[in-house]
Amino acid sequence: MSAGGPPQGARPLGGAARSAVRGEHTSATDPALVEFDGVSVVFDGRVRALDDVTLAIGKGEIVGLVGESGSGKSTLCRVLVGLTRPSSGTVRVGGQSVAQHLEQEPLAFRRRAQMLLQDAVASLSPRMTIGRALEEPIAIHNLPRTETLRVLAAILQRLGLPQEVLTKFPHQISGGQARRVGVARALLMRPEIVVADEPTAGLDVSVQGQLLNLLLDLQQDFGLTYLLVSHNLNVVRRVTGRTVVMYLGQIVDEGATRDLFAAPAHPYTAALLSTNPAVDPRKRYEPIVLQGEIPSAVNPPSGCRFHTRCPVAQPRCATEPPVLREVDAGRRVRCHFPFSLERRRH
Amino acid sequence: MALPLVSIRKLTLEASTPRGTARILRGIDLDIGRRRIVGVVGESGSGKSSLAACLIGLLPANLSRIGGEIVFDGTDLLALPEAAMDAWRGTRIAMIFQDPMTALNPLFTIGTHLVDVLRRRHPGLARKAAKARAIAALESVGIADAPLRLSSYPHQLSGGMRQRVLIAMALLVEPDLLLADEPTTALDATVEAQIVALLEDLRRGFAGSIVLISHQLGLVAQLCDDLCVMYGGTVVETGPVAEVLGAPRHPYTRALLACELDDDAAAGARLVAIPGDVPDPVSAHVACVFAQRCPHATDACRSAVPALRDAGPGRQAACVRWEELAAPAAPGMRQ
Repeated sequence: MSAGGPPQGARPLGGAARSAVRGEHTSATDPALVEFDGVSVVFDGRVRALDDVTLAIGKGEIVGLVGESGSGKSTLCRVLVGLTRPSSGTVRVGGQSVAQHLEQEPLAFRRRAQMLLQDAVASLSPRMTIGRALEEPIAIHNLPRTETLRVLAAILQRLGLPQEVLTKFPHQISGGQARRVGVARALLMRPEIVVADEPTAGLDVSVQGQLLNLLLDLQQDFGLTYLLVSHNLNVVRRVTGRTVVMYLGQIVDEGATRDLFAAPAHPYTAALLSTNPAVDPRKRYEPIVLQGEIPSAVNPPSGCRFHTRCPVAQPRCATEPPVLREVDAGRRVRCHFPFSLERRRH
Repeated sequence: MALPLVSIRKLTLEASTPRGTARILRGIDLDIGRRRIVGVVGESGSGKSSLAACLIGLLPANLSRIGGEIVFDGTDLLALPEAAMDAWRGTRIAMIFQDPMTALNPLFTIGTHLVDVLRRRHPGLARKAAKARAIAALESVGIADAPLRLSSYPHQLSGGMRQRVLIAMALLVEPDLLLADEPTTALDATVEAQIVALLEDLRRGFAGSIVLISHQLGLVAQLCDDLCVMYGGTVVETGPVAEVLGAPRHPYTRALLACELDDDAAAGARLVAIPGDVPDPVSAHVACVFAQRCPHATDACRSAVPALRDAGPGRQAACVRWEELAAPAAPGMRQ
């Protein structure tokens, strides 16, 4: 681990009741299931999509990942499931690097870390029935067919998908059903880690609760570990135990979700939270409107990458890059002048 | 009360689909007051975008029937010949589209877009004067270096800048009615906040009425005067935004509010969802559209279409039971 101190995931972050429902990692002895150790990804030798990311995810945790487009969220997910190779640094799953996993037992690793893709409908071939799409991994992974099909039937029932859905084509099912088919396809592999990229994007509010309840139930029943990417801050607040905020390829703020939402330490987090329009005026944050847009990762600003838009930037911020440092138990911030951790919300 | 700018009455819209006739709008009644900002909220398939399409007269090709009336300042838009409607678009009615990437023509500069709009609104306006007004418009929406930006092409601008250009175009029209269909949905959160702040600024100087279509109740609560809640091609509730959200009359509005995740629910509490699915647009219109999913539905709800009726000052709700459900003892939707 680098500057951040001991692995985040190995620290108790909440009471037992919370950890039971939100999957916080409470045991101080278990090593983290997933460890990002100084991971950078550089595309074309110049686009720094990820920059020195160090992050630990404990078994059974639900970690939320937030940030705007271009912040590196998707790259981080792809690196975790082995779809993108880090340019430097290592990602370890269960103590072994993803590169080694992929070299030695690629299929086993792919089963272990499953990804729920953002566009659930597009992730299903339009020319295959749902049944065929779900059976394909059985052949690829050489799973016992009869038994797996029995498991599949049980999963479908669990997800509230009728058997008839198997004979349909993707265009014949609803968006919510397509999401659940994606979940079924991932669960069939009996994964340990599920990376969910915007699992509620495009879902109406009346059904997003169902899907999130389902993901929470499955986490409990199968001991799953989630990395959940969402631009919907309300979803992250309600569902995750820990939140990681990214900006231009770097982690800028990290902490127990409850603490981070109550007292954002990084000015970017504060601004992001203030953009969340609440129906109840009493629940709105003080509005912080940032100037400009997220700069290019090809030529990121000097010093602190956020200083060009930061409402409280000082001269030092333009020259000296801040390190991600621990400001409180389980709380890391990449800022020279973080906000105090008292409750800022009114 | 002053005559509304737009009075929509019994507006129906049907489209032919392979499965039969889809009832996209099932008899919409809605008034848009002068200088009011009306937020239209609803889930996908509720008909909110179709309502906007009817108002600006840009309807889907598979449309089979449109009925009712849209009286705009004394003129029924549905009775206007196509050429006359064409003259209204871009002069008295303007629209900001959801996706600023596709709403601008990639082959033309920002200046051409703005000057085109102006010369349509004010035929005979000199090029130089048009250019000056275009620059002023870009400045008013917070674009730096406006004179330089006139010669930029859309691809040279970021998403937030493009949305600002679209807003500038709409404002140059000085329309009586501005339609904004999910104007911030395609933008990143901090850019969205900028556009929301811009819209809040501009609304003070805008003399027309605005219809803001959104699926975000929070955004509508922040920006709008009035709220129109749509479900299954019908209006289920209308009224001043604070009143409707503060004490919703229709069970669907209440359910929608309960689904918002912005409450400080106890950790691990179940998330609220509305069981069931949205009504099939091909289904017949013989009952309350929400009856299938409503926890308070009775036989009366399943046997007749409830009328949109008065539900307090300036408010209407399409629920036969709203009075008894609004009583303090009524069971809420919150679980």
